[in-house]
Amino acid sequence: MKTFRYILPAVLALALGACGIGGGETDDSTTTVSGKVTGEITFQTWNLKGGYADYFNGLVTAFQGANPGTTVKWIDQPPEGYQDKLSADAAAGSLPDVVDIGPEAAFTLATAGMLLDLSKTDPGAQAGYLPKAWEANHFPSLGGTYAYPWYLNTGPSFFNKALLQRCGVATDALPATFDALFAAGTTMAAKCKSDATIVGRLPAIETFGAYGVPLMDAQGTKFTFNDAKGVALVNHYRDLYQAGGMTEETLNKLQTGELDAFKAGRVAWLPGSSYTLKDLKATAPAVAATVAIAPQITNDKPNMYIESLAVNAKSKNTATAVAFAKFATDKANQLAFSQQAAIFPSATGALDDPYFTKDDGTPEAKLRVESAKAVSEAIVYWPAAFSSKSVDYLREQIALAVLGKKDAQAALDETVKYADGNLPK
Amino acid sequence: MTVRQTHDRWWAPWLFLAPALAVVVTFILFPFANTLALSATDATLLRPGHFVGADNFVRLWQDDRFRTAMTNSLLYLVCVVPVLVTAPLVLAALVNGSTRVLGLLRTAYYLPVVMSSVIVGLIWTNLLDSRGLVNQVLDWLGAINEPVPFLSDRWLTLFSAMLVTVWTGLGYYMVIYLAAMANVDPALYDAAAVDGAGPIRQFLHVTVPGVRATSALIGLFSSVSAFRVFGEVYVLTGGTGGTGGQDITVTMLIQQEGTGLQAETGYAGAISVVMFVVLGLLLAGQLWFQRRGEAR
Repeated sequence: MKTFRYILPAVLALALGACGIGGGETDDSTTTVSGKVTGEITFQTWNLKGGYADYFNGLVTAFQGANPGTTVKWIDQPPEGYQDKLSADAAAGSLPDVVDIGPEAAFTLATAGMLLDLSKTDPGAQAGYLPKAWEANHFPSLGGTYAYPWYLNTGPSFFNKALLQRCGVATDALPATFDALFAAGTTMAAKCKSDATIVGRLPAIETFGAYGVPLMDAQGTKFTFNDAKGVALVNHYRDLYQAGGMTEETLNKLQTGELDAFKAGRVAWLPGSSYTLKDLKATAPAVAATVAIAPQITNDKPNMYIESLAVNAKSKNTATAVAFAKFATDKANQLAFSQQAAIFPSATGALDDPYFTKDDGTPEAKLRVESAKAVSEAIVYWPAAFSSKSVDYLREQIALAVLGKKDAQAALDETVKYADGNLPK
Repeated sequence: MTVRQTHDRWWAPWLFLAPALAVVVTFILFPFANTLALSATDATLLRPGHFVGADNFVRLWQDDRFRTAMTNSLLYLVCVVPVLVTAPLVLAALVNGSTRVLGLLRTAYYLPVVMSSVIVGLIWTNLLDSRGLVNQVLDWLGAINEPVPFLSDRWLTLFSAMLVTVWTGLGYYMVIYLAAMANVDPALYDAAAVDGAGPIRQFLHVTVPGVRATSALIGLFSSVSAFRVFGEVYVLTGGTGGTGGQDITVTMLIQQEGTGLQAETGYAGAISVVMFVVLGLLLAGQLWFQRRGEAR
């Protein structure tokens, strides 16, 4: 009995300790999908319930109607902390069957074998999507494709004409290249100093892509944006900062901060999306009244962003999950969704719909048609392997370079080293 | 009940202790042991990882961000703790009394304590922003030509965060001092007054020695919370750790490395272990000084 009194707590402690250990590393990502489309699946979206609940309820009803015996449980997550929610689900092994996901998160989950590899389970699906969109979820270093492309977004440049004029920049020919942008920024700095600037945040990885910097090698095993062109881009920002064309506050701004500063009339250039005009009209009508829309600033192809639908490799109803992901991303459903939301479809042929080719004369239609043209040639510059931690590291290193506390080459070298270190071994 | 019967019920104390033990084991001992184990692995959120020995600690030594975080956290401690040990005592002495006005002042000073650190951070963000109230007042007074970069300059951001910590901590420690001051024998004040001591002398020679043990305790508490600062810096820097990450603290670094899909739980565990050791040494040092002082 005496021994037992010591054994009991020890066993309890060991049992508790064991809770955190283990977890098999079985790879279900390449399992061939077969079986009947039936049973219940969960479908998770990101911040779409607010404006599009009717669309998604209709989508779910239509799928269930076409596939008797299926139940789709739709879950929408709030905008804040989506990555944290995915992290918690992934760590707990409770990832939804079909997940709305960006390439960067998909890359991380695919590396851990949590997503279905479509290049093996559904190789024929590729034909149904725009090549650039399909490529965005193809990860060379893993050798597979891990999500069905869903909606795309790109957009032109938005300029605050009143602000440009007040600060001495002619608005008859708005900046279309990075060189013109930095020249306009320097002009503004000379006249307005930090009261009004042209740029509202530091360059992100996709800015380097649009500037013409090669971001990664073809095998996806090494980052390469620390070349001379990348250094030149950082030096442009440093020069602009030193000329007074950027505030120190700007060095710490995220995308939302840039948008807020544009809406407040303190920043003259905003790389926008097809949704931006509607948003400006609703939340910053004074700025919307003076806004001019110009082509996206790029030295190469325009940049675009993509959201996709990935299928959990450990789904209990994989066939149903795959069927639903394909249903939600097919041409008809993508077209229907894009007519409700200011986004662009990734399904083959959907951009040929008159909705994206006919300009009815309204500013919204003009913006939509122009952006749709850009989508057809745009590239998802942000490499999926460039993690959100690397995004933060890049911003910090560029800030130090712009402040003059670090050489631009050293800042980029360190970021490349850091980002390479985060690649799967 | 015989002695024999009592011995037979050996499990009775365990039964009473079980709920508390379960909480301690689940939420303190197991996470602690798990963190220790993790710190010697290259585990990520999605991968259990392998044993890597002291690699994480070697990496820490070479990590600029860790050095910055450690510098900021230590600076925070050095600047904030002396203020939080002394200022609340002065404040407590000033508001110690039974009038309604003093009661109102005590409530006012305590109010920031019950506010969430995020709300406090947002209030101060709006005050200290380049277009915030403080800069506008300074501009209106003609004291500045350019806004003071309270939230973008490395050191000003850190000192702004310290100001917020002190502002919120004042009321909390003031209440502790008020309780301690209630235990100081009133006869000592009477005797000091008879000897001709005014309010300042009474404070220095009666109140301060009377609450010395409490001051030591507050020193310990505020040291731990200052070194573990998170909320104030996080909110004032918008979660980025300041321009170029120069205002990051150790706790923020743990949060950045240990959360998200790309979380490196092994590395974050190593930072936590170092933080634990530093805090342990700090507290041991303080206790040693305190005991040495008492022995004298």
